[in-house]
Formats: sequence, C-alpha cells, structure tokens
Amino acid sequence: MKEEVCVLSTAMMGDSLFEENTWREGLNQNPDVIVAQGTSSDSGPAYLATDALYGGSLAIKRGLRKIILSAKEKGIPFIMSTGAPSGGNQQLEKVLGWVDELAKETDIKLRIAVIPGELDKEYLKEKLRKGSRMRRVVDVERLPEYLSEKDIDESEHIVAQMGPEPIMAALDLGVDGVITGRALDIALHMAVPLKEGFDKGLAAHMGKTIECSSLVTVPETTDAVVAILKKDHFLVMPTNPKSRCTTISVAAHAFYERPDPTLELNPGGALDLSGAKYEQYDDRTVKVSGSRWIPKPYTVKVEGAKKVGFRTICVLGIRDERMIRQIDWCTEQARKHVEAHLLPLEPTKDYELLFRMYGKNGVLGEVEPVKETRSHELGVIVEAIAPREELAENVCELAGRKLLHMDYPGRIATAGNIAHPYSPTANNLGPVYTWNIWHLLDLEDPCEPFATEVRQFG
Amino acid sequence: MKLYELATVLRSKSAGPFLNTMDIFFDRDEPYKRVRDSGVLTKELIAKLYKIRPEDVRGIYFVDQARGIKITVPKPSNVASGDPQCRDLYGASFYIPLLDVDIP
Repeated sequence: MKEEVCVLSTAMMGDSLFEENTWREGLNQNPDVIVAQGTSSDSGPAYLATDALYGGSLAIKRGLRKIILSAKEKGIPFIMSTGAPSGGNQQLEKVLGWVDELAKETDIKLRIAVIPGELDKEYLKEKLRKGSRMRRVVDVERLPEYLSEKDIDESEHIVAQMGPEPIMAALDLGVDGVITGRALDIALHMAVPLKEGFDKGLAAHMGKTIECSSLVTVPETTDAVVAILKKDHFLVMPTNPKSRCTTISVAAHAFYERPDPTLELNPGGALDLSGAKYEQYDDRTVKVSGSRWIPKPYTVKVEGAKKVGFRTICVLGIRDERMIRQIDWCTEQARKHVEAHLLPLEPTKDYELLFRMYGKNGVLGEVEPVKETRSHELGVIVEAIAPREELAENVCELAGRKLLHMDYPGRIATAGNIAHPYSPTANNLGPVYTWNIWHLLDLEDPCEPFATEVRQFG
Repeated sequence: MKLYELATVLRSKSAGPFLNTMDIFFDRDEPYKRVRDSGVLTKELIAKLYKIRPEDVRGIYFVDQARGIKITVPKPSNVASGDPQCRDLYGASFYIPLLDVDIP
C-alpha cells in the first residue's frame, strides 16, 4: 500500500479562472490525480429537463484545457464530472465534443472512460416490476413516498448520482482519465484513494472537504486545493500562497449545503463526522482525523424532472407611492379582472397568476419580517403559469394591462400607472419544470446502471 | 445583543431542493457559547420565524469543533427549488429572519 495519496481538486462549474501561478503550485505538489466536480442539482429541475448548460461554454472549455493538458504533462489521471449542472446525456455530449476539439487542436490522442449518469426509463421500470421499492430521499408531501411507473413516464430525463465504484473500475481500463455525467461529488475524490486501500471514512471526508476547492480556504478564491491522504489522517492546504486553511474554515465546510453537519448518507454508507478532529498542522495546512464510515445497504439517489406548464412574465416598475401603499389591493383587482375575462373561456381556472413584488416581499414571501414596504419604487414581475402557452400569455397580458390603467383610490396620474422596461411587455419563458423524482434506488452491484464506454479523442 | 452582532458568518443555502439550511459561525468561543447556552435557538422560535410547525424543524445542531450552529427547515409552503412558485433557487436569502434574534 502506498504511504499517501495526493489529490489536486478544482471545479468545473465555471467559477475557476485556473490562474497559471496557483495552478502550478498545485501541480508542484505532485498529485496522484486531478479531480474536478461539475454536476449539481442545485440550479433546479429545468437544467435536467432541457439541454441547458450552466456556467457558460467558455469556462468549461478553459477547465477542460487546464485539467486534461496538465494531467497529460504530469502523466497522472484526471477524474471529472461534467455536463453542468444536471449531468444529463445531452450536456455530457456537448462537453465531450469540446474535449475532441481540444485534442485535435493540441494534436494529442486521448483515451477516456466515459460514464453517463442518465438512466433509461425502461431500466427503472423493470426494477419496479421486479419488486424494487424506491423510497423518497426526503420526507416531504410533494414527493410520492414510493416511485411509480407513472412518475418515471412523466419525467423528461432521469439521472442517478453514481458512487466511486464505477469510476474505480474505469480507472483499470488503461485510460488517460475518466469523465462522468451525474455523480456524487466525493465519489470522484474517493476513487483513487479507495483503489489504493485507504480508509473509506477518511477518503469520504477528504472528498467532502475539497469538493468545492477553495471554499475551504480563507480568504476564499477560485483556486484549486490540495489534500494528502495518509493512513489515519489527511492534510488539506490551498494552492494560492495568499490563502490559508484554518481549523474553523475546514470544519465549517462540513456544514455546506447539507442538512446535518455530522452525519450524511452516501451510497453504501453514512459519513459520521461526530468524532472528527481538526488540528492546525502548519500555518496554511489543517490535519483532519477521526472521520468514520458506517456501512449501510447500497443506494444511489435518482433525480427526475417533469414539465408542469408554460410561463409568461411581464416585468414592470411602479414609482408612485400612492399606488405602492395600496399595491395589495391593486393586484387583487388585477386578479379579479383576469378571472372575469377568462371565466367564460376557462371555467376550471387552470392557471396560476403570481405577482412578485421586489421592494416589498419578493425575496422572502411569507417569511419576510418587514411588513410595511419602505421603498419609493417597486419592481413587479407579473407571472402566469398555465398548461398551454397561449393561456399563460393571456393571463399575463390581462393582468399587466389592468395594472397599467387601473383606477385606484387617490390616483393623481390618470394616463398610466406603471413603467414598462420592455416591449413586448409580456414575454414567454417557455416550459416550467419541477422535481418529481428524488428517490433512492437499491443496488446490489454499484456499477449496474452506469455503462462505461472507452472513447478515443483526437 | 442581536445574533448578527455576535456571529462572524450567518448564511443560508438549499440542502437539496426541499430544505433550507442556515449556518452560523463565530470567530471566538465566547460568543459561540453565549448563543449556544442562551437557550434562545429552539424549535419553537425557528418555527415562528419560518412560518412552520415546531415538529417540522429538521434539526438544530451545535458543533463545538467548528464553533458553528446549523438549523435546517423545509422550504416555505412546500415549494421546492426551481418550482414554478420558487422565490429563491439557492435558498441564499433565508438567513435574514435570524439576523435580529435577541441573545441575552
């Protein structure tokens, strides 16, 4: 067994500038692998349902260039998840196209193991038919407790978050690196250490610590970070000479974007950080020990998004304080106006009309502690959602127009009430989606849904 | 004192599409312990601030080695990140109701 594994960790979500000097600092640590996470569900279901990419193509191309060429130069593998943010096949294929462009442009040959994270609907339905029970990850009423074939059919696309096992297997295929679709972030960081026989709890905690690269440093930058995993602890340090890792900055990262700071369910086990110990190793480096892995049955999280209608919005501004003081009354009149217009045509009222009022409670809604707006102007988004785009358009147009010409008590300006920044005033934003699958799939073989394909580039 | 006067970091974010989680960090032990031991951060208070029932508060955690407090709640009105009615995709503004909590 090796004495230690060194991981250079960055991200593929468009934040990192891959500044040459700090990136070199990382490479000078002689990492065994370069890892970059690039998938997430945080940006919402629309990214999974469509082929939209997050972070911009230029940023992703910059990341590919730095990571792949550096790994080639050092003779080490790279592991990245991409197709930001959803990790669906459409996004993954776009990125693989750019990998090919890069290989051709720089005249290199690349042999890469590609592991898509998208699931075939038939595969999942077959699982259900064979008696698999897929339970929701979080107990919330809006998700069905157990997944049905109907839910699968209603999803536009479905991905599963792979664990480290398919990546470990892919590293044995004599490849320059591994590119995955949707994956658990820490699966990417864990793969090489687990292959080398290092402790799973420490490997997982190391992954957690460096998955968002410099979020774990002070000051925060967009540079990569380095972790060195040993038998009974790991060290974490920044690549930017002006940054430090402190016991607090490292311990605090265990809080980031997760519901419980000391216990987290992962494929095949839970990471228990209740006994984790953080020590300042040197001025810029933190030593972590005591992380524990509690084995559990193997599950992967499955994510699906379904279409729920179409959206039309009208963005407008209100400057008259007389109207702002009575804005709730005004929007209520607009709502009644829409209902009166559409009742004969749409008796089922199969639409939703929202007024997002920035300057009042647009951000926090019912949780807003400030009850009386103190703003001299209000930004309002009139928003309609309906099963048909034409209906959404009509609801939005009627409501917006009513606000423009409405007579309200104390009105002094009788020619028009609102400022429209845009023409056309109402604009269709296309389909809207919701998460409809957020469930756990039991697997006997962690690699089963993730078919690896070795591809040549350049 | 108000919570924002004692904390160094007070932030919120989605923890998955259905939950918001608030993190509070301190630069010294004294303010951390003052808040932790005040007994103010209860499920009842969080429920009141976030317009939910006390039993719906998913957890209030005190982690001494990070001088950190974490509070996890469901997103308001059963609306998930990216839903048509969603107001805050990343849940990044939901720390606001905690700022002015009085700590004796």
